[in-house]
Amino acid sequence: MTKIDVSDIQGFSLKGYNFPFARYLLLELQHHEAAREFVARLLPEITTGERWNINHKPMSTVNIGFTHQGLVRFQLPLPSLLSFPVEFQQGMKARGDILGDTGRNGPAHWDAVWKEDRVHAWLAVNARTAGALEERCAAMEQLMRESGGARLLQAQDACAIYLEGKPSTQEHFGYTDGFGNPDFKGAEREHVRGQGKLLADGRWEPLATGEFLLGYADEAGELPVAPIPHLLGRNGTFMVYRKLHQNVAAFRNYLNEKTKLYGGGKEKLAAKFVGRWRDGTPLEISPDQPDPRLAADKYRNTDFTYGEDPAGVRCPIGAHIRRVHPRDSFGFNGGLVNRRRIMRRGLPYGEYVPEGQPVSDEDDRGIIFMALNASIFRQFEFVQQQWIEYGNDARQGNDKDLLIGSHDGTGKFVIQGTTDPKNPPFICGGLPNFVELRGGDYFFIPSLTALAMIATGTVDPR
Amino acid sequence: MADRSGQVYGLTILSPIIEDEGLDICHSMELRWYLGHLARDGHSPFAQLSSTYLARLVVMDDVVYVGAPACEEHLKSRYLVFETNFDGDLDTYLKRMARETPEFVDAVWKHCVGYPGVADVEAFAAYMKKCRIPTTFFFADVNNRTVQQTLKALQTQSALAHFIEKYQGRPPAEIQREFGVLLHSMREAPLPRAGGDETERLPSENRPHD
Repeated sequence: MTKIDVSDIQGFSLKGYNFPFARYLLLELQHHEAAREFVARLLPEITTGERWNINHKPMSTVNIGFTHQGLVRFQLPLPSLLSFPVEFQQGMKARGDILGDTGRNGPAHWDAVWKEDRVHAWLAVNARTAGALEERCAAMEQLMRESGGARLLQAQDACAIYLEGKPSTQEHFGYTDGFGNPDFKGAEREHVRGQGKLLADGRWEPLATGEFLLGYADEAGELPVAPIPHLLGRNGTFMVYRKLHQNVAAFRNYLNEKTKLYGGGKEKLAAKFVGRWRDGTPLEISPDQPDPRLAADKYRNTDFTYGEDPAGVRCPIGAHIRRVHPRDSFGFNGGLVNRRRIMRRGLPYGEYVPEGQPVSDEDDRGIIFMALNASIFRQFEFVQQQWIEYGNDARQGNDKDLLIGSHDGTGKFVIQGTTDPKNPPFICGGLPNFVELRGGDYFFIPSLTALAMIATGTVDPR
Repeated sequence: MADRSGQVYGLTILSPIIEDEGLDICHSMELRWYLGHLARDGHSPFAQLSSTYLARLVVMDDVVYVGAPACEEHLKSRYLVFETNFDGDLDTYLKRMARETPEFVDAVWKHCVGYPGVADVEAFAAYMKKCRIPTTFFFADVNNRTVQQTLKALQTQSALAHFIEKYQGRPPAEIQREFGVLLHSMREAPLPRAGGDETERLPSENRPHD
């Protein structure tokens, strides 16, 4: 059995906190001595992966990650800096051609803070209440001031959408989000069907730890590419941060417009886009109507495969969740997808506007999408390039993901159907950009040990 | 036949590159320079050879021993490696190369030992076959359709998808009438050019994961 040292791993790398409030402080590090001092002082504040006592859940959490430019600022030894994977050294902006971050998604349209290479650190504060968030962020800013090691460039707020006074997991288009992160060995969590890797006999088991944490064997039985020395990488991981603006007006207009022609009705059409009804019910299990009990049942809402639906008449082959987690779609009992899994974190930002009320694409709203994986190149970038921005693996030709693909008004999405007039085949053409990238970067989320090494200037690659 | 999978032929040719120490710029260097500037889109000579699925030209310099203890090994010569998958039989393809892309063939194979030129098509085909090595096992992801059938199928698929998107939900009589127009236009439509549309940048241009 894989044993991982949860007290050495940043909590964010292991679990979603499910707190409704977050602020991502985007920092520019200062002189290396002051920056190290800042990390040294921050170290006791970092939330680890240790289990919380049910009666003493913290009010807020703190986690930190660095871009490669940030690590350069600490004056890490050159052999260590150069030992990081190339895509991390390059940063997300330089990978734009591969990721499809061009045109409307290109850096010219990003928030100013991401246009230059000045974001060295991502300091994340998650909190249970707005008050706790303010309090912790104030403490963080005080640390920055006192140490002189970091300057706040921008504070990005994010917050769960409140429905009927309660925080929800819904995003701005109205879909319930956040089902099923991949389970991996050593993670302290309940094993749920549909959340690890599919075995030949139909069982699911956790993925290898090394798919998500550096220093452990991955699905190929190898240690993932990691910086030297080993201790700098071990228990760390890589994070992709993407601020995804949502064109809610464009989405609602498009859905309403296409509903006029689609025989299955508006909600079914919305479900076909994603592969889940907007309440989260998987189309593959319940193709005809949403089922709130099923959607809320954590033992059932990720427990499905596509093998019985090769033609996509229940869940379209190009639907969002079938693309990004194809399960058994490609045969070999899912063996082709086990090295392409990512852990997702994220929260919406901006004001939620209920359906039926006036809304504009110019409003600042969307989702802060964060993906964690051991290899950005092999995992996130592959999913983005091959499964979001291209359709060949799903036998959908050049078609992109309807929801988050980078479109130019000419793309299409095919909904496979049957002779049932309530489930007709349908083609959605003229796709606009429902989601647009507003910036982000690649971050290294070090272990507590690695943070201490960085803080004390004792990273020794020899 | 080992060099054939369905109707697709898998050709491998190794042509020794001329060694001439008296030259300022050696043949392999000139060849690399030429190949490096060869068009890869619809202007590629292989787009003109319209039965080509995929072709690759590589200068193989030498072998490098990987392992310990290090040891020095050498090939007898530098080679030009030519790999291509195409429809039909070998003789027809080689003769088409000589007849339809003579300048390209000359510019490449003039750097190779024993190249007879393209004026004598039979001699060129015989030369190429002499340099051929059995491919024995290859993979061509083409469903055993010809290049032209594949291009036509893609054209039809695209036109049909566009048609459905445009007319879905319209009255049956209108759909039927417009479908007749579509069928007619598809029959009349010229076959798409091989080698792709250079106005569109293919996702494959940036696909390090392949």
